[in-house]
Amino acid sequence: MTRRLSFFTSALCLLMFSWATTLNAETEDKLQFSGFARVIMGYLDDENAEYVGYDNSVNLNQQSLLGLQADYRLSNDFSMTGQVVGYTNDQRNSGLQWLYLTYSPNNALQIKLGRQRIPFFTYSDSLDIGFAYPWLTMPQQVYDTAFFPTFDGALASYEFAIDDWVINYEGYWGRFDDKIYLASQDINTKVIGLFGVNTTVGYKNFIVRASYGQGDIDIEQDEVVQFSQLLRQFGFTNNADWLNANGLLQFYQLSANYEDLDYFVRSEFVKVKGEGGLFADVDNFYISAGYNFYPYTVYVSYSKKDLHFDHIASEIPFGFTPDLDVLAATYLGVLAAFPDDKSTGTKLGLRWDWHTNLALKAEMTFVQAKDAISNDYAVKDLGNFDGQAVLYQLGVEWVF
Amino acid sequence: MKKYLTLLFLCIISFAKLEAAEAIIVVANTSDKSIQLSRQQVRNLFMGGVIPYNLDAIALPPENQTRVLFNTKVVGLTEARIQSYWAQMRFTGRKRAPKEVDNESSVLEYLENNIDAIGYLPGDISIPDNLTVVYTIR
Repeated sequence: MTRRLSFFTSALCLLMFSWATTLNAETEDKLQFSGFARVIMGYLDDENAEYVGYDNSVNLNQQSLLGLQADYRLSNDFSMTGQVVGYTNDQRNSGLQWLYLTYSPNNALQIKLGRQRIPFFTYSDSLDIGFAYPWLTMPQQVYDTAFFPTFDGALASYEFAIDDWVINYEGYWGRFDDKIYLASQDINTKVIGLFGVNTTVGYKNFIVRASYGQGDIDIEQDEVVQFSQLLRQFGFTNNADWLNANGLLQFYQLSANYEDLDYFVRSEFVKVKGEGGLFADVDNFYISAGYNFYPYTVYVSYSKKDLHFDHIASEIPFGFTPDLDVLAATYLGVLAAFPDDKSTGTKLGLRWDWHTNLALKAEMTFVQAKDAISNDYAVKDLGNFDGQAVLYQLGVEWVF
Repeated sequence: MKKYLTLLFLCIISFAKLEAAEAIIVVANTSDKSIQLSRQQVRNLFMGGVIPYNLDAIALPPENQTRVLFNTKVVGLTEARIQSYWAQMRFTGRKRAPKEVDNESSVLEYLENNIDAIGYLPGDISIPDNLTVVYTIR
């Protein structure tokens, strides 16, 4: 509720700001409003599972959203941008997503200061703009990772051309201090020294993007920290060390896309490595291909997620004293609370560009998760899930 | 015989005309009359990318036939993909779509009044002397 209130407050501020400034006729050209909306309906054919929040009933509240953006040109080189997004999903943090000052002295260079989305992966900073991508739901095996979405800091981008090649470098640096939302809990998270570099190279119809990012993460896990201290007092240092929710998290990404009038192929590989034992390592990818017969696009997609922990076996002897037994059982309990998560997703979908700013989409996703389901991410086992389900979705994507 | 020749001549004329109507020229208001762009440079320019010259692109509205030809022949993407690309660029604060003007005669008028402006037009349009054709595709 408070999150929704904060969205409405921010939206109201943005509108007030616009109203106050549009009073002056001269500012009309300087101030621009735009927005985007998604209305997404989904139904899962399995009553023993949930996928991307959808269960065995028709649901509109998981991915539907409304975003508003205001851009104000301060001078030829400087502008200010604010974007608020209201999510129907309680687990998303509605409110201000972007608020930054842009300095752009020419076409090649751009420097942005303020709150921004983190461009970890190709679509990380545009996930809310469903109109911008062909899929109805981004391949969750890559894009459902409970990361911190925004940062406060600086982002610089420089672009140049050599013959038919266009090369773009992007670098960012900043911090994050907020909650991240897993299905089971909201976790206070602090990230300092967050920085990353991305390179995008375009040649004719090909675009390749490679990126690296890292951050020093501090996740609030008080109970685990206390337990780790207890283990250390008993001398079980390996196990105590493993129960560590602080340290470096590193992101690697590589995507290769091709598109022309008739076809597209989009693929992306991501790898995440965590220093602390409680950070999962991630190796995910998707590959999608589509065919355009304007105004329609049909596409197929396959994606695979492999999220895993380096679980360290208990070094606590069992059966000696009741105290040690409790300790050992608790340690095993903690290990079990950080399970691996593996799944594949196969999609078949249709996008219909009904108008230049309105698209309709229909998509079927066959999800398979037989071995490991952590229930913290897109796939949830509600009990007796056989590991296979189909998600049916219809959506409207609008930009204005 | 003469009748056939006339018919043949008419055929050639109409094909030539058809080709002219399908051709696209890219026209700039630039002091450097020697500028010639490659197809890729024109594509970059109209998709918000960087080229070695400082030129400001203007475009026609999505339903305009010249724009449809330009999308097909030069950009190589459908209008739907171009719109979704601009949505992504706009809401991530990266790039802005070129300013749009109503029709071909407004493009000419805009180009004449704005130094360093560049726009695309149908191949059979007559271009005033102060503007330069920097790219042609048939």
